Amino acid sequence: MRLALRELRRRPGRFGVATAILTLIAVLLTFLGGLLDGLEAGSTGAYRAQQGDLIVFADGAQTSLVRSRIEPEVRAQVEDAVPDGAVGGLGSAQLGGRLEGRGPRDLVGTVVFGYELAPRGLPDEPPGPGEVYADDSLRSEGVEEGTVIQLGPARTELTVVGFTSDAKYSGQGTLWGSVDTWRQVLGENRPSAAVGEGTVQALVVAVPDGADPADVAEAIDEATGGATETLTIAEAIDALPGLAQQRQTFSQIIGVTVLIAIVVVALFFALITVERTALYGVLKALGARSATLFGGVLLQAVLVTLVALAIGVGAALLLDAVIPAGSLPFAVTSGRLLSSAAALLFAAAVGAAFSLRRVLRVDPASAIGGGA
Amino acid sequence: MQLALREMRRAKTRFGLLIAAVALLVFLILAQQAIQTGLITSFVGALREQSAPVIVYSTDGQRALQGSIVPPPLEAQIRGVEGAAAAGRIGQGTFTVRVEGDDDLSDAAIIGAEDRSVGGIEEVDEGRPVERPGEAVGSTGDFEIGDRVQVVAVGVAGAGEGPVLEVVGLVRGAQIQVTPTLFTTWDDHVAATQTVNPEAPTVLPNAIGLRPEDGITAAELAARVNDLTEEADALTRDEAAREAPGVAQVQQSFQIIFLLFALVVPLVTGLFFLIITFQKSASLTLLRAIGIRGGALVRSLLVQVVVVIGGGLVLGTLLYLPLTRVEVGSLVLRFDGAAVGVWSALLLVLGLLSALVAARRVLKIDPYEATVGGGAR
Amino acid sequence: MSPSAPALRMEGVRKVYPVGDDEVVALDRVDLTIGADEVVALVGPSGSGKTTLCSIAGALLTPTDGVVEVGGTDITGLSPKQLTEFRRDSVGFVFQTVNLVPFLTARENLLVVDELGARRGRAARDRADQLLEELGLADRADQLPSELSGGQKQRVAIGRALMNEPELVLFDEPTSALDSKLGEQVMELIRHEMKERGTAAIVVTHDERMTRFADRTVHIVDGRLDDEDGRVDEGEDVTAERPSGAR
Repeated sequence: MRLALRELRRRPGRFGVATAILTLIAVLLTFLGGLLDGLEAGSTGAYRAQQGDLIVFADGAQTSLVRSRIEPEVRAQVEDAVPDGAVGGLGSAQLGGRLEGRGPRDLVGTVVFGYELAPRGLPDEPPGPGEVYADDSLRSEGVEEGTVIQLGPARTELTVVGFTSDAKYSGQGTLWGSVDTWRQVLGENRPSAAVGEGTVQALVVAVPDGADPADVAEAIDEATGGATETLTIAEAIDALPGLAQQRQTFSQIIGVTVLIAIVVVALFFALITVERTALYGVLKALGARSATLFGGVLLQAVLVTLVALAIGVGAALLLDAVIPAGSLPFAVTSGRLLSSAAALLFAAAVGAAFSLRRVLRVDPASAIGGGA
Repeated sequence: MQLALREMRRAKTRFGLLIAAVALLVFLILAQQAIQTGLITSFVGALREQSAPVIVYSTDGQRALQGSIVPPPLEAQIRGVEGAAAAGRIGQGTFTVRVEGDDDLSDAAIIGAEDRSVGGIEEVDEGRPVERPGEAVGSTGDFEIGDRVQVVAVGVAGAGEGPVLEVVGLVRGAQIQVTPTLFTTWDDHVAATQTVNPEAPTVLPNAIGLRPEDGITAAELAARVNDLTEEADALTRDEAAREAPGVAQVQQSFQIIFLLFALVVPLVTGLFFLIITFQKSASLTLLRAIGIRGGALVRSLLVQVVVVIGGGLVLGTLLYLPLTRVEVGSLVLRFDGAAVGVWSALLLVLGLLSALVAARRVLKIDPYEATVGGGAR
Repeated sequence: MSPSAPALRMEGVRKVYPVGDDEVVALDRVDLTIGADEVVALVGPSGSGKTTLCSIAGALLTPTDGVVEVGGTDITGLSPKQLTEFRRDSVGFVFQTVNLVPFLTARENLLVVDELGARRGRAARDRADQLLEELGLADRADQLPSELSGGQKQRVAIGRALMNEPELVLFDEPTSALDSKLGEQVMELIRHEMKERGTAAIVVTHDERMTRFADRTVHIVDGRLDDEDGRVDEGEDVTAERPSGAR
């Protein structure tokens, strides 16, 4: 084992090739993972920020916020079904925002939300009429505290009074205000989607302590006679259009990349092992067991991979710091980094195993009488 | 040539692994190309298939059909532009629908065109285009000819059932926003919207479709509309597809992925050949000593590179073929011959370039070394 | 292991390889006994079976027939794994070509055997340093093989062969790559070291001039031994001691 370590230390150049390529693959994996997480965060922020446990949609809205309508009568039924919990309305409107100093066709994409039950990072009491909190991804568009944004064709004015983070929706920055503010914005800009007084798109429900959210969800749908479709926040996230597909696509790409890593490691360690046949013969003659020699190969593969991972992770973190927030969807999470690392280490081990047969086959007797 | 092939046959594992690596990379690149194209089509296919050469949104719509609203004054301005042979309202909404015979509800995007020749579907892949209200042309794979699709009102007290549309034709690659899509008349679109929103005063169009007169290009017409007013955002059909929200992001992400993967291929082949050149230096020296010219050895090397990359390309393409028959989620992947051609050429060139380093090494071999028992390092 | 047990005892040893439908007899009923501190030269043309004999003597190969004892231990029926352990603990090798691990220093090359096996740590280091000293390589202990001359590399290889205090050391063509003067120096060193420690050795060589350093010479042709009772040439006093003459 120490033999293998010493070889790494004294002959780093020999492993340079495999390391370089593994580093590239590590960078690829972390980049792919970061992209996937960034895209997800950009779509799911608004939901993940919710502190409630359930979201109640209208039945038939297919869990689409935009198509859902909860009227006061249905809301009352929901509230009756959860006497010890909290129920808050939620509404959204996707509109282009105009900021001072920008061209007439240069709009900022935003989604305006009206809330009653505060998501994390927002005050319990929603801001006053015409005032909103902005997701800090909008800072990259020049939005600051005090900025006035003119929304939609009606140029409804909203003033930014604070910021929150990680609350994006549909890949766009969000603005959070009271439900009344939201109704006003909707009415002025999307008259064909206007809602009446007391109507919201969905309800956020916080279940009482100790209650099982799934049970409460069923209870709510029963209480409304099937007029509602209640999901946990996690389920609502999974149901976001395109999300499942995105995950599947990226996961498959990541899977094939790991496969490529296996083949590359196998290839380069097979090349290295061929060069060492004579040395292995001598070592076996001296009394080395195949297990020891193969252990050395495995150790080298793992260490080389760790170096590649260190650089790959470093590159990911660097990218994360350097990419201006909002230009490319990219997010670095420790969970993803760990799984990428595990995948690459697994690939290294499997790739190294390809050399096992060759190591086993070296005949110690070949050391004697051997020569060019 | 013989030397090159014989060596490869002797060292099957190494060359086999290399070809496998190249094949996987090729497969991945081609698959992602197909996924990217499929994804983009499922976002904006509808825009590409509809008949209007110029689509005019309101600027506030940010080039998303559903988000754009054209109020009457703006509509009047747009219709007044010089050089438009035809103009028609286009409306789009996403609705909950029930297909007759199904118990489940599903989603559908409904695009209604006032004038079928500017905003509807003129050429179908199956069946026939829409001729009267109550009919629709659907996106292939989501609907069948003969389906009767009803718009369902959601959570709105007192709303009746919505209009029923009979699918009379199908067109491929015609989804919008990854949703099953139905092209129908303007009146049907209005009826559907009012079902879902009885409180809505009037239904306004989301965009206006224009066709330029003879002698004027679509781009020119779009420019004229944009000059008329800042409230209008006119785009040609291709621009509209390209600029739709989300498309740019998808393309950008994939470009970077392609770049990284394409880099791996020449790196892996170049370094592989460099290593085995080092390993072979004894026998290479011998060959030089007995009179084989350096050029011949380099050619032998390049033959191997071509075989490896060619083999990888063929294998990778064969892996990619079945993928294009299968659906990844609801993405329909098509076999893109052009992509295979372009990538094959690119990877071959890159591979040959990467082998230059090894080639240089081969040429540097001094045959004298053979006599002094050197050459083996 | 009794002190007077011969270093090697081969009795009726045969090694047969199947080749297609036929078979090749590499060793044909070989009887050979080497005393506990005897240096024997093994001479024969290529293909004579000397490699096979050394492999069996060195516990690298199991014979088809016959009995092999090294240092009194019967290794005939040992499994490959057991043979490996035996080699590690009781046999020393100095190979013809690849001997030293190129990326290890001289001292580390000596310690290889220790690292592969029992790991005696401090004791092994001390022994390595002592051997290096005795071989005149103390100041080269931290150098890599690429920094050593041919003769110095040979000495490191010899040091390594002696690390585990073997019953028997096998030298495979130790002088073939050296000019005659250097070759003689190496053979003197080998004889000296073996005699110093009373360790037995088989020196495979095709150079008849080198056989005078051995206690006796054994010729092998077509898998059979032609056991000559070779003695040190008269008139040349190359060793301080008289040969121990065990037969």
